[in-house]
Amino acid sequence: MVVCILLQSTILNRVAIRGVRPDLALIVLIFVSMRRGPMVGQVSGFATGFLEDMMNVSPLGFHSLLRTVIGYVYGLLSGNVFIDPFLMPIVLTVIATILKGILAGIVSAVFGLAASGFITFTGRLWIEVGYNGVIAPFLFALLNLFKMFKQADKEGA
Amino acid sequence: MPGLFEGFFARHRKGATLAVLVLVSFVCLMISSRTLVIRPKEIGLSAAGFFQKGFSGFFAWFGDTVGSIGQLQAAREELAAARERLQEMDQATREVLELRRQNEALRQQLDFAQTLAPERIPAEVIARDTDNLFSTITINKGSRQGVKKGMPVVAWQGDIEGLVGKVVLVGPGTSEVLPLYDPQCMVSARVDSTRDEGLVLGEGKDRGTLVMNYVKKIAKNKITYGDLVVTSGLGGLYPKGINVGRIRDITAPTYQTSLVLRVEPIIDFDRLEYLFLIGPEPDNPAPAVGQQAPPAAPVAK
Repeated sequence: MVVCILLQSTILNRVAIRGVRPDLALIVLIFVSMRRGPMVGQVSGFATGFLEDMMNVSPLGFHSLLRTVIGYVYGLLSGNVFIDPFLMPIVLTVIATILKGILAGIVSAVFGLAASGFITFTGRLWIEVGYNGVIAPFLFALLNLFKMFKQADKEGA
Repeated sequence: MPGLFEGFFARHRKGATLAVLVLVSFVCLMISSRTLVIRPKEIGLSAAGFFQKGFSGFFAWFGDTVGSIGQLQAAREELAAARERLQEMDQATREVLELRRQNEALRQQLDFAQTLAPERIPAEVIARDTDNLFSTITINKGSRQGVKKGMPVVAWQGDIEGLVGKVVLVGPGTSEVLPLYDPQCMVSARVDSTRDEGLVLGEGKDRGTLVMNYVKKIAKNKITYGDLVVTSGLGGLYPKGINVGRIRDITAPTYQTSLVLRVEPIIDFDRLEYLFLIGPEPDNPAPAVGQQAPPAAPVAK
């Protein structure tokens, strides 16, 4: 997730659509939460969100709150949802991105924050929803592959 | 009693962890945003307002989409006119460039002193905000290189210099720049041709459009599409005469006493690579209270 955050702030700017980049860290968080449950999901979400807050101009606690809640909610689904290689990653990611937008809007309204992305129901959010949805199946497949490699290593050892 | 707590946490480990993490985030947010909101009515209003804005935004988008189909024919006619105008502008731009070259040559011949130009710190864009929710730009210069909070930032694209934004956060080796299109960024500006003043601010949702408010309605007939908007120098943050953008749309709402101008930024923010941070003018110290400030030196182009 740390690597994803670094990628998002640097290389992914080159593939941004109208300034909107895919949120790889969110997709990885969904994957991890769905595999490892709410505890790992919320702690991972908090840690990566906190790191993001440290790197950005966003107020400390903003991303950590968003990602903690998303990690926990998706962790609760762990073991209860069958994840096929294509459709479910898209559905889960689309819902998570919309949830992130709604949570960001609520937090910014409550704390009186003003930033460009907070105009939630506008093009930027929907571009991100689409972008994340398109990338999700590939990233899920990649992460599954990574897990398979780890298992193979164990067996080999 | 401790056993009771231990038992509770053992039973509700996940929920308790969530509560702790959310609480930590909330406390951090309260401290860092400095907007401690504990009044329930205001929270309710804010939350309701958020959903109202959401619905309003969605239906406005829907209405615009439907309406835009009808506007297609008008847009075609405008396009033909715009192409004609573009050719004229191209010719004018070539003439301006030629005049600029002549001007530079004459300056060199006259040995014109340009020492009044403020110090400029070159910087490179190394990253942008990790999330799409905020819109800052990270540069590779910080306090060690003399960067200070509030410094104006400009960039060159093609042959034109334009305003990018201002420095909002300074670290030892990197800094964060708030771009013009962010809603928090406000610039005191004027229409270059008519000298009418206003306030340019970002809309956030579209980095290709800025809004200029508080321009008097009587200026409507004088201002034309394509007019250049430059910084006015008022407020002291941005030097006078930096290009901000060109007017793309002029509206005069009946419920307002001023015009609303849509301004297309000079800078294409997606292509930003190198920037210049403008320091204070060396021979022009801040005036004492009550003392008239001398006019700012024009930005070297």
